[in-house]
Amino acid sequence: MSATLLAVDDIHAAYQSGVDILQGMSLEVPVGGFVLVIGPNGAGKSTLLKTVFGLLAPHRGGISFDGRAIAGLAPHEVKRLGVSYVPQELNTFPHLTVEENLRIGGWTIRGDHARLKKRIARVYEIFPVLAERRRDKAGSLSGGQGRMLSVAREMITEPRLMLVDEPTVGLAPNLAEQVYELLQTARKAIPTTVLLVDQNVSDALRHAEEVVMMNLGKVKAAGPVAEFGEARVRDLIQECLLG
Amino acid sequence: MFSTELVVQTVISGVMIGVLYALMALGITFIYSIMRMINWAMGEFYMIGSYLQYALVALLLGPDLWWLAIPISAAGVFAFGLVVQWSLLKPIFRKPPEARDDYATVVTLALLLLLRSLATGLAGPNQFSPGSNLPVVMVGPMPLAGARVAAFVFALAALALFYCLLRYSWYGLALRATSQSRIGVQTAGIDVQGVDRIAFGVGVALAGLAGALLAPVFLVYPTNGLITTVKGFEIVVIGGLGSIPGALIAGVLLGLIESLGAAFIDSAYQNIYGFALVLLILVLRPTGLFGERGREA
Repeated sequence: MSATLLAVDDIHAAYQSGVDILQGMSLEVPVGGFVLVIGPNGAGKSTLLKTVFGLLAPHRGGISFDGRAIAGLAPHEVKRLGVSYVPQELNTFPHLTVEENLRIGGWTIRGDHARLKKRIARVYEIFPVLAERRRDKAGSLSGGQGRMLSVAREMITEPRLMLVDEPTVGLAPNLAEQVYELLQTARKAIPTTVLLVDQNVSDALRHAEEVVMMNLGKVKAAGPVAEFGEARVRDLIQECLLG
Repeated sequence: MFSTELVVQTVISGVMIGVLYALMALGITFIYSIMRMINWAMGEFYMIGSYLQYALVALLLGPDLWWLAIPISAAGVFAFGLVVQWSLLKPIFRKPPEARDDYATVVTLALLLLLRSLATGLAGPNQFSPGSNLPVVMVGPMPLAGARVAAFVFALAALALFYCLLRYSWYGLALRATSQSRIGVQTAGIDVQGVDRIAFGVGVALAGLAGALLAPVFLVYPTNGLITTVKGFEIVVIGGLGSIPGALIAGVLLGLIESLGAAFIDSAYQNIYGFALVLLILVLRPTGLFGERGREA
């Protein structure tokens, strides 16, 4: 059995006092794993990632990363420990060039010029289209290239854990598949562990190893991907929606 | 009849004052582009800069070292800005985003009243002048006040330094990125509160620098920041809120329009010409000349 990289233990978190979005959420992510979090709208999936990354502080429960308690740390402190977060929205700086976007992705290693240069060169090797467009403004990239840059930016620091929030939302099916391949490429190239939140269940299931289904801010079901056939997922979601 | 000499002199004078107005507007728009808040107390940071300049020249360094007092005054305002951000604004930025504007408005308006009252209490309502022993500078056949020329040169140098820091340093990259996405910089591992602190310090230091540079021209008294603040906001409306190129270009444009209007129409209505331009811009292009599209910090 693999060691646990991320452990979320009974966390409660809210955007407004008294209205908990996460209501006792717990999960474990093994080193090198690819864990997919699914669930109906409003289940708290994105809030889970924001809470792990420090954008929202839990008021109860604990989060540990590689054995170290990280609940309540600021995002820049969590990032320095080796956690990256790719939010649902396109996470690029439209008025900066592709190269500047990648450089800022390496903020935490900016003191080591040689390492940063090498990492950017490696990203260009993996994603040649970004090398071709290095001097273009990120705002001029297509949707798929923008997603590529969002992920590539997070690869610069070679994180040990990537938190990825609905990376295919709003993308055409062929682009969505490219994004999953992109995540697999990143996972193997670094290598890293992935905690993915996705509504595009049928496609995401093909890439995941473990699945966690959330409802009302806590776990509804969890297990290896083999246990989550389409019929079971449909039944579970129906249960969630019908109560 | 309009002589060529008068036109050229008026244009030069307009550009010179416009660059100084632009410093103030740049401070307002820079803070807005990073922190998404309006600092209503900008005029008071200008006022502090002018008082520091006066105190340093009159009490410590003497008129010959006026040039040394200018960076010290700006640095003093920068340090004060860091303290204000840390003590008054940082707690606001822990609140949900929708409440920030309201809190920031209340806090900076309260700061405006506090600082103005403190200045009146400490230095009285009197006007002071740090004086200037700079000789008149001849540009061709035209005489220009030495203090104004020095202020213009210092302002240009400050703008060049600001541009270089923003364009070529790591912190500049972080500031430019923050103006585009606050979540994005946090995912990059940047301490966004630290960026806010630097942005606020630099923004108010620009106002303090304008205050120090214009102290011999517009004098030093508790409400001396009012006019330049109004000009700063006029420029922000003309150039587009959040646009740094817009602030620079609109600053020069406002200076030119005021100077040309005063010289060739009526000097009594100097301030009206700028407002007329503001109204025209609001009608034709409500987002300002460089609006949202130019927000690159």
